[in-house]
Amino acid sequence: MLLGLEETKKLLAKYKIPQVKAKIVKTVKEAILFSKQNEFPVVLKIFSPKIIHKTDIWGVIIDIKNEKDLLTSWVKIEKIAKAKKTEIIIQKMIFGEQIIIGAKRDSVFGPVVAFGLGGIFVEILKDISFRLAPINKKEAKEMISEIQGNKILKGYRNRELVNLLKLEEILLSLSLMISREQRIKEIDLNPVIANKKGAMVIDAKIIL
Amino acid sequence: MKLNYLFNPKTIAVIGATDKIGSVGRGLVKNLLSGKETSAKAGARRKIFLVNPNRKKVFGIKTLPSVLEIKGEIDLAVIAVPAQVVLKVTEQCIQKKVKSVIIISSGFAETGTKGAVLQDKVKQALTRANTAFVGPNCLGILRPCTGLNASFAPLTPSKGNIALISQSGALIDAIIDASNGKSWGFSAIISYGNEAGLNLVDFLNWAKNDSKTKVIALYLEGLKNGRQFFEAAKETAIKKPVLILKGGKNPNSKKAVSSHTGALAGESQIYSVAFKQAGLIEVSSIEELLDIAKVLSWHAKCKNGIAIITNGGGAGILAADYCYQFGINLPKPNQATLKKIENSKLMHPGYSKSNPMDIVGDALSNRYEIAISAIMAQKDINGLIVIQTPQTMTEPIKNAKIIIEAQKKWPQKPIVAAFIGGELTEPAVKILEKNHIPNYPDPRRAVIAIKSLISN
Repeated sequence: MLLGLEETKKLLAKYKIPQVKAKIVKTVKEAILFSKQNEFPVVLKIFSPKIIHKTDIWGVIIDIKNEKDLLTSWVKIEKIAKAKKTEIIIQKMIFGEQIIIGAKRDSVFGPVVAFGLGGIFVEILKDISFRLAPINKKEAKEMISEIQGNKILKGYRNRELVNLLKLEEILLSLSLMISREQRIKEIDLNPVIANKKGAMVIDAKIIL
Repeated sequence: MKLNYLFNPKTIAVIGATDKIGSVGRGLVKNLLSGKETSAKAGARRKIFLVNPNRKKVFGIKTLPSVLEIKGEIDLAVIAVPAQVVLKVTEQCIQKKVKSVIIISSGFAETGTKGAVLQDKVKQALTRANTAFVGPNCLGILRPCTGLNASFAPLTPSKGNIALISQSGALIDAIIDASNGKSWGFSAIISYGNEAGLNLVDFLNWAKNDSKTKVIALYLEGLKNGRQFFEAAKETAIKKPVLILKGGKNPNSKKAVSSHTGALAGESQIYSVAFKQAGLIEVSSIEELLDIAKVLSWHAKCKNGIAIITNGGGAGILAADYCYQFGINLPKPNQATLKKIENSKLMHPGYSKSNPMDIVGDALSNRYEIAISAIMAQKDINGLIVIQTPQTMTEPIKNAKIIIEAQKKWPQKPIVAAFIGGELTEPAVKILEKNHIPNYPDPRRAVIAIKSLISN
């Protein structure tokens, strides 16, 4: 079972894991208000505890730059939300490197944490590091440095150097969370977006 | 220590003793009786009682119908009777206040629910009586230094400092055979079977504190309590090197998962992660397990910085490639080293003044000698691989002796030999290994071996 949106938010906050500003919106008016208060660009996406892979059903629209874009995007997302009986979330668009930080309860060894680059790196190349939790700071550092794509986080070519310290903090917090919260089976913080300033959870799935 | 009776019993009862050809009981009795002589020679007299209500004599020795008929205390009872009789004889052992028990018999939890129920009854009885026990469904326990072979293995291995702990008994048989006639041996061999009583963690903790054990080699397929193993292994690896070979790694058993993390964190990955995190050395074959156990058994750890001396360019290049692959540094020979070699006037003018140092195919032993002594004296060289390919003029035995002398002179810089070949090199290899210089017939195996010595 997927944990609900509000509970997920609360749980992440309890472990001081930074999350992007997000809100469930019912009308386009609410969406516009959110965008004005928090500034464009924004993201629209569907949410339902039953739907695990949102992008597979075109349930995420990113980089909505202005009110005009928002209106057309709203029409698209509302259609899907109605068809699939889901809610709609609006959140601020964050730019940076996509990262996946996860955890699971292994049947043999118990709590485990994972770190990898998002997108194809994790899905196709399986470039991901693991440790049994709880981990210490040194182990968090090792996990980040041992993935093949590590260079990307360290400012490869014209990419921005990523705030590794913030990523370590998220890893340590998640390690604590999976160790303490016995009811959790699996967690995906995917993506976490990291840039020069910091790192933020954009989407979180907690499976009980 | 509660396992003392198990590893060094003064009195043993074999329940299910027989001399029937092809039986487990026969192997067991033979092994225990042969060990009796060894232990007597070592000054530790051991009494062995044979129990079998259906046979009057076994190997000409009078048997007793039950363990209860034995006068005096029993330190260890080894049970090799059909599964359905195990509970009954176990209860007799408890009544007799036997101090430890090995249940060799199979037909328990490994066969299904019925067997599991029976196993549980046996376990309950022994646990209530607070009696340490091994098994069921195991090969037994061997402690070569005390002459104890409480197993039905085909041979008694020689003593040494490797503790082999294995979930598979058959693998132990094969490893014992492979070790036969070799210069390395075992401090203990433990087949832990179904782990109803003493489990892998108990034996790991025992080996950690055993003064006869320098290296621990594990074979396992699955763990009952992974976390407990992880913690024990972590503590053990601080004290002694622990090698691990894990069987059952194919991903077919993957369950349905719904998160990325769940999908990617397959069972075999997590095993490997846990081993690495605990500081264990994971190997991928029996050959590698024994290769590394051997080098750790004989050599001390060293820092990174290895030299290669070879009489064959190809073998040297291969070794250098493997060193690069495994992160081993090959420091260049410095001016002082090269001067020593050149001043000897013995070196071929075309030798490679580098690392690997190719002393050229026609090298006689004196070239090996001058190269080894010059290189070993160099400060940033912490270990050495000596490669020999058999050419018309090569002197394998002389080369072996030079290596042995060099190791005595620089005991803190481990030497690993790669005498490559077959019949021509075999006698020299025997001499090397008798003197505890490990040899590997392939440069790759030699490099992997020396890598396991390098501590950063």
